[in-house]
Amino acid sequence: MGVILEVKSLTKKYSGLTAVNDFSFEIQKGEFVGLIGPNGAGKTTIFNLISGFEKPNSGKIIFNGINITGMKPYKIVNLGVTRTFQLVRAFKFMTLLDNVKVSCLSKRGKKLAQDYGIDEYASTILASVGLVDKARIPPVILPHGDLRKLQIGKALGTNPQLLLLDEPFSGLSHEEAQGITDLIKKLHDDGVTVFMTGHVLRELMHLVHRVIAMHQGKFITEGPPREVANNKIVLEAYLGRGEKFA
Amino acid sequence: MKSRVKNLNAKIKEFPNYLKDWIKSFKGGLTVFCVIGLFLIPLITTSPYFLGIFMLSMIYAIFSASWDLLAGFVGKVSFGQAIFFGLSGYIVGSLLKFNNYIWWSALIIGITFSVLIGLIIGGITLRLKGPYLALGTMVIGIILQKVFALYQLKPILYGDQGISGIPPLSSSSVVTYYVILILMIISFIIMIKITKINLGTIFRSIRDDETGAEASGINTVKYKIIAFIISSCFAGLAGGLFVMYNRAINPLVFQPLYSFYALVMAALGGIATISGSALGAFIFVFLGEIVRDLADPLFIFSIILILIVRFASEGILRSALERLRDFWDILIGR
Repeated sequence: MGVILEVKSLTKKYSGLTAVNDFSFEIQKGEFVGLIGPNGAGKTTIFNLISGFEKPNSGKIIFNGINITGMKPYKIVNLGVTRTFQLVRAFKFMTLLDNVKVSCLSKRGKKLAQDYGIDEYASTILASVGLVDKARIPPVILPHGDLRKLQIGKALGTNPQLLLLDEPFSGLSHEEAQGITDLIKKLHDDGVTVFMTGHVLRELMHLVHRVIAMHQGKFITEGPPREVANNKIVLEAYLGRGEKFA
Repeated sequence: MKSRVKNLNAKIKEFPNYLKDWIKSFKGGLTVFCVIGLFLIPLITTSPYFLGIFMLSMIYAIFSASWDLLAGFVGKVSFGQAIFFGLSGYIVGSLLKFNNYIWWSALIIGITFSVLIGLIIGGITLRLKGPYLALGTMVIGIILQKVFALYQLKPILYGDQGISGIPPLSSSSVVTYYVILILMIISFIIMIKITKINLGTIFRSIRDDETGAEASGINTVKYKIIAFIISSCFAGLAGGLFVMYNRAINPLVFQPLYSFYALVMAALGGIATISGSALGAFIFVFLGEIVRDLADPLFIFSIILILIVRFASEGILRSALERLRDFWDILIGR
């Protein structure tokens, strides 16, 4: 065990607007943590800051004892932190196999993949996310649920220690979401630390062991899902000050 | 390490079989047929004029393929490919004329210099995307054209008349023809191979989604610079050969028009195919030669571009191959 990710008073400002405000939390090795908050709470900004796509105004991000604040995204990936995106990103004109192969060719992915052979390793990953029968087609003709699976496959190619999943269920039907849920559960059982966001809480609350709640860039509370779901401030953040409904 | 050597050994052993299968395949057979055809041309005619048309086509084929590697596979559309072509040309030209170098050593120096420039321009324009990269590289080309034409710099850069009377590669145009042909074949083998190996996969990922490639742990800056280096290497080779063929060079070689030539030839054959550039170059040069007395090359260039955009935005190589294959199937009665 031990701390895998430590975020210390992180702050990010966009000309006047403070998207993330003095935000701190820790994640233990092997944990399964969710980050919740209403739309515009700053969840994606936090992911962008951790994965290096944006630089914080102040604060520190420490992964496995290494200060990764402001590092280039690819370097952070090669240390073992890989993210997926809220809006699906795929290499449009390349086959699914090549899509996964790219991450297997990253410095970190390569170390593991080389022993198996890059192509074989990439198809193993495709098989584990359930897309191996579509290995030779480009992602443009895939349904949305398969694209979400591909995203996770691409992330797995880099052999992550900490997986950041940004809204892995958005735009999915209940059945499709179930498939992704099973996939993420399996990954966590295999020893990957998972940190995911979501504003639709149904799937997320069943999955994670601990929830961090945020609103307007600020930390509200953390704890087991059930506790957080009944927290008054969290409810207010989602539903507004509820005197009318009370 | 040991397993790698073993792998390599196995690959070498498999190679003859692989080659046999490839030649038997439609594409491989056609390629071999074309290459043999090109080898036989000097037996049919030794007229320097006809051989010259073929040589120019082959030189442009390398040039255009080098552009295609950068634009079609890495997504970096440069309008300054003529920079490498011209700089290497100037160096090879001056080494041959004023310093009595042998052609191949001059060529190697020209390519080396071109690669260095590729490294610098790649570095400068790294952050530019889309139209900004195109404009940035185009401007560098225009600046070079003006600088090389400056009267004040004439003692160093030979002024607006450039260098002429450069000694040819060989006094026999047949020898020159074969040297250019062999260099073209080697260049195409290397470039096509690059697009097929892992490096090519990484290149294409940068073309499709640069942010996504970064998120997959790829050092995009490093690979973009590698792409610039490879591309400038072959553009430099083409420039050096062009000078030996043309036996003169002037600052006009830097103008964006030459960079556009590369674009038109690649687009004509099909972008992101490499071999399409060869087809495009041959059609472009031959067409230009046929209508030479009727119209300006610029006119043909514009017409071709309009026709490609309207009727064959994917280039003609793929559809031509399909038609040819159907025809072949009918011929052998399949």
